[in-house]
Amino acid sequence: MSEWVRVFRQGLSIENPLTVLMIGLCATLAVSTQFQNALFMGLAVIFVMMMSNVLVSAFRNFIPSQVRIPIFIVVIASFVTIVDLVMKAYVPSVYSVLGIWIPLIVVNCAILGRAEAFAYQNKVGLSIADGLGMGMGYMMVIVLLAFIRELLGTGKIVWFESTLLSLPAGYAPPSLLLLFPGAFLVFAFMIVGARWINERFEARKEGPACRV
Amino acid sequence: MSSVSQMALLFVGAALINNILLTRFVGLCPFFGVSNNMETAVGMSLSVVFVMVMASTATWLTWEFILDPLGVGEFLYIPAFILIIASLVQFVEMYLRKASPVLYRAMGIFLPLITTNCAVLATATESAKPGFFKMNIALGASLSLGEALIYTLGVSVGFGFALITFSALRERLDLAPVSRLMKGTPIAFITAGLLSLAYVGMSGWFGL
Repeated sequence: MSEWVRVFRQGLSIENPLTVLMIGLCATLAVSTQFQNALFMGLAVIFVMMMSNVLVSAFRNFIPSQVRIPIFIVVIASFVTIVDLVMKAYVPSVYSVLGIWIPLIVVNCAILGRAEAFAYQNKVGLSIADGLGMGMGYMMVIVLLAFIRELLGTGKIVWFESTLLSLPAGYAPPSLLLLFPGAFLVFAFMIVGARWINERFEARKEGPACRV
Repeated sequence: MSSVSQMALLFVGAALINNILLTRFVGLCPFFGVSNNMETAVGMSLSVVFVMVMASTATWLTWEFILDPLGVGEFLYIPAFILIIASLVQFVEMYLRKASPVLYRAMGIFLPLITTNCAVLATATESAKPGFFKMNIALGASLSLGEALIYTLGVSVGFGFALITFSALRERLDLAPVSRLMKGTPIAFITAGLLSLAYVGMSGWFGL
């Protein structure tokens, strides 16, 4: 159990796929204009990552290592198809905004990376923890990015046409944050923040450390 | 839609106005991964043009003659397209190694990387399966093979253009004094943000 928790927490903080490993960036920047879309994108990624991890690790003894990559891709593609059809049926308004990004979850390097690096070598239980942790880590970053961009860019957070939260009247939102450059700029500062926090943690653990 | 001016519009719209890297964020991994030096950026851009055009042709033909007539396109397009692209790239790599060592040396190492590049899958899907991209919807419900090729060519040229520009900027950036926390990726992101600001000015041209 403690092993399970350790693997789960690794995804959340230290080995976070986005801010530290820098993989799976494309979708993050593109769909983070709205809190609501980012949340659905995060859920889709968690589902695909967890299910593909489970399937890959359950069949890890039957998958010959020469053809493992195509097999992983087919497994991931099947789960992405499920997400694609479910979202199209139940939340068409979100689906129409996410559009091409749903099929593109297939080539999200983070998911294939977890199947290859973790699920192919570990038991099913641990693979669930890894998929869940990494997926939650991914969702945290994408939702936080979308939250900052939507709150500061439009002055309010909207959830299915009802306003959840709004800044005081008189705030003039800089629409730059909603445009393409905004994503790059906000994300750059988020990496700086993540680096700073990691550095502080390491400094506390090992005394003064020097990182490149 | 077949006149020359509309073809030109499709090309410009795909390459500049809706630049795949800087205004749509598709394919950012190689954008930050291989932009460290000019030579690899040029090699990568050439390989992307080459692979994208072939992948779009293959997926367009598959959609038109196999998936759509059988009525399974809606369920099978994701696995089908990604497998077609992966195997196509593999075959091309084997063929190039045998037939043209010069070309192989120029793009050999990039070909396996490109298989899981979102830009290739995105472009192939958009040109084959109708209804994914607002620009293509505005120009006509679905693209013919010729239009799909022009669109793909535009997208890949835009990709190469942005990648090469960015790698030129990054080579200069290595020499600049940057604060410790900002060094490396964060400053690259800020540079990319400023570069994409230039593309914002083009959005909305010709209603694309």
